[in-house]
Amino acid sequence: MSSASDRSAAPLLEASGVSMVFGGLTALNNVSLTVGREEVLGLIGPNGAGKTTFFNCLTGQYVPTSGRISLDGTTLPSDPAKVAAAGVARTFQNIRLFPNMSVLENVLVGRHVRMRQGAIASIFHGPGFRKGERLARERSRELLDFVGLSQVEGELSRNLPYGDQRRLEIARALATEPSVLLLDEPTAGMNPQETEDTRQLIFAIRDSGVSVIVIEHDTKFIFGLCDHVVVLVQGEVLVAGTPDVVRDDPRVIEAYLGKPPEDVAGTATEGEEGR
Amino acid sequence: MITKLVAGKPGLARPLSIVGGVLLIVGALLPWATFQLNIMPYPALSTLQFFDAPFGVPGFRLHVMLLGVAVIAVAFAPAAIRGRTTKALGWGALAIAVVNAAYLIVEGGGFGTITSAHGAFAFGAVVSAVAAVMAIVAGSAYPAAPPVTWDLKLAKPLEWLVLVLAYAALLKVVADTLTAGGRGGAANPYAGAVFLSFVAFLFGVFGGLNGTGLLRWVSAVAERHRAFSAVVLLACAFVLPFTEAGTEQWIYTATNIGVFAATAIGLNIVVGLAGLLDLGYVAFMGIGAFVAANLSGAASASLGVDLPFVLVLVIAAIVAGVFGAIVGSPTLRVRGDYLAIVTLAFGEIFFKAAQNNIAGATGGSNAIPGIPPLDFLGTPGDAAITVFGAELAGGVLYYLLAVVIVALVMVLFANLKSSRIGRAWIAVREDEDAARAMGVKTGKIKVLAFLVGAAIAGVAGAVLVHRLTTASYESFTFLESVTLLSAVILGGMGSIPGAVVGASLLFVLPEKLREFSDYRLMLFGLALVLIMRFRPQGLIPDKVRRAELAGETAEGGSLKEAEERAVAEQERADDERLGRTGVTEGRS
Repeated sequence: MSSASDRSAAPLLEASGVSMVFGGLTALNNVSLTVGREEVLGLIGPNGAGKTTFFNCLTGQYVPTSGRISLDGTTLPSDPAKVAAAGVARTFQNIRLFPNMSVLENVLVGRHVRMRQGAIASIFHGPGFRKGERLARERSRELLDFVGLSQVEGELSRNLPYGDQRRLEIARALATEPSVLLLDEPTAGMNPQETEDTRQLIFAIRDSGVSVIVIEHDTKFIFGLCDHVVVLVQGEVLVAGTPDVVRDDPRVIEAYLGKPPEDVAGTATEGEEGR
Repeated sequence: MITKLVAGKPGLARPLSIVGGVLLIVGALLPWATFQLNIMPYPALSTLQFFDAPFGVPGFRLHVMLLGVAVIAVAFAPAAIRGRTTKALGWGALAIAVVNAAYLIVEGGGFGTITSAHGAFAFGAVVSAVAAVMAIVAGSAYPAAPPVTWDLKLAKPLEWLVLVLAYAALLKVVADTLTAGGRGGAANPYAGAVFLSFVAFLFGVFGGLNGTGLLRWVSAVAERHRAFSAVVLLACAFVLPFTEAGTEQWIYTATNIGVFAATAIGLNIVVGLAGLLDLGYVAFMGIGAFVAANLSGAASASLGVDLPFVLVLVIAAIVAGVFGAIVGSPTLRVRGDYLAIVTLAFGEIFFKAAQNNIAGATGGSNAIPGIPPLDFLGTPGDAAITVFGAELAGGVLYYLLAVVIVALVMVLFANLKSSRIGRAWIAVREDEDAARAMGVKTGKIKVLAFLVGAAIAGVAGAVLVHRLTTASYESFTFLESVTLLSAVILGGMGSIPGAVVGASLLFVLPEKLREFSDYRLMLFGLALVLIMRFRPQGLIPDKVRRAELAGETAEGGSLKEAEERAVAEQERADDERLGRTGVTEGRS
């Protein structure tokens, strides 16, 4: 499952010249990157670098001010629901499960976009409906098994431990059958063992044929995981390349450890505040 | 405070509860009032006939006595059930004592009525109240035990028998509750007290049974045989007119309950599942009502057509549904409070339009009177009928129609809820952005919720208007919307039985407690505040989730489920007590 052979093929996901301006604030400036098939791409950068904003642009939450994002050569629509249908799924920096639904139901919501039953079928529960429902449940259970949550499928998701909630979010995203999975800080708040488990899980996801983009602060985790790493600083791509190249680049060390960028606070902040 | 005194002393619990039980029996036998309230003998007029027959124990005094016996019996029951059961029985007895004491004081003119006056003594109420408090305290003094669950499985026919008996008991309870305080309701000044005493008794009994784990077991059995339960429950609803509650008045009330329960279930889709607060919901009911009135051959209707009823229902549903979608569409961009205001405005627009006879379709202040009764296979809907030699009250056919409509709406709700659409609604309620990111077209799905909810209300409105024979804008005020919403919240959002129970309470209580009619809204408000404070999930919270699980996991999975959850809760509580920060806090 080496990604080297795939790199020669056309990229699966391609973002070219993506800029995002909020009022007078440039959160993203001309960001271009590509993700190949079965590749894990790491997206790192200091707080406020625009990583989550970039995710929001990819998934249609934000409409980029300029630039183009395409999946398999087709431009992605600027509507999260349509993006999910097109095959890009995500998890959230702050876990956003459906807290009062069971673990299984959470994953079933992920199946929504791959199911076809409309309101009429849902009212009458005919044979076709039941078959589709059964298949959806089977597939959801497989995914729960895949992330190791099959024992707790009946729990309300809000009652799960933190690490399990992260994994459930991944299972829910996988249920939409994405070709690209976006993980926003999947190991935040995890202990070393859980982090390692997550790493193995991401490898397994990649090996199942899904490309993954990971936002992380934990550079050690990223360098041990990714085929490629992109460093974002103040909304611009600072360095991009293999982990070895990025790790040794003095600009990256400076961005993280050396003299801090003067106006980190000036760029858009991550997550909720960014909208 | 007293509870704290005995908390660490379980040794005191049993003697205390035995004394409390004995005193309850004594209190029941003592006279309760220092004068004779009514000269008529029980039960010709169910009265508070306290003084002249201290050793006869009719009505609520029998109930107090039974609760006393139960308290004593529970003191020798297995330790795990003692605490909760005793406490519930005690609360029930206390409520009976307080209700009757309050009525006696008010009607009898002061505290002398329940203590001593004119050389007569009557300490029944006081003794019973003290005894009930003792039982409650004793209940708290028993060592805390987790709720009991019975891991009992019987052969299928036996479980069916259990269900039949349980539902028969439920039917009996419903009939008795409806007739408590007199069949007619209004004649007797103590009808309210008798009714409230009966409700208090039921509260004690059901609380006690819940403490023993019996109710949980029965509901687990019911979940194992859901289809069978549904059939038996439907049969019970059909049998109600044959019971002592089958008077014209109560059948009429029950029909109203049915219509509004169906509407409340529809509202439950919008509010309970999709989480969209709709304050103008009754407008859709009104639209259905006026559509039906115009299409059913009323003399004053402008259209002058008389379509078959089934067709009328379908058209009412479609028209109301279309209006639902129209109202839903502009509300896609507003959330929460703003949505509530938009729907509130729509309700008012409808009300004013109907008041002003817009397009000549509503009759304005003249309403549309004279809607001919429905024709049930040749029998007019308002006629009394004879079935199996039993004379049934007039309007019973409308009642049966309402039962069928409620049953259909329940199936509709349950099916939708456990489908792709229903999950999408719940997902939107839980986290709209996350739902969207998972590919749920939130706009479409929200409009669909409005559409389906409105269509159900339209059907209910069409049935209602035939029962009322008059379609008037006055039936569809903002107050009705609030009442419906209260029914949903009172019963439990997203829960089917909850909506029915909520609607029942909000329509039975005003009938039963006419002496409080001036304070009706105040009491509703108070009840809602209390519910929100002490039981925010509603009276009968949504159990469908557990029911689904019982079907999916290994047999009896739901019981294990509950245990695990209890253990998890306990662990979490421990964590909090130890001051450990929750895992989630470590991140945010």
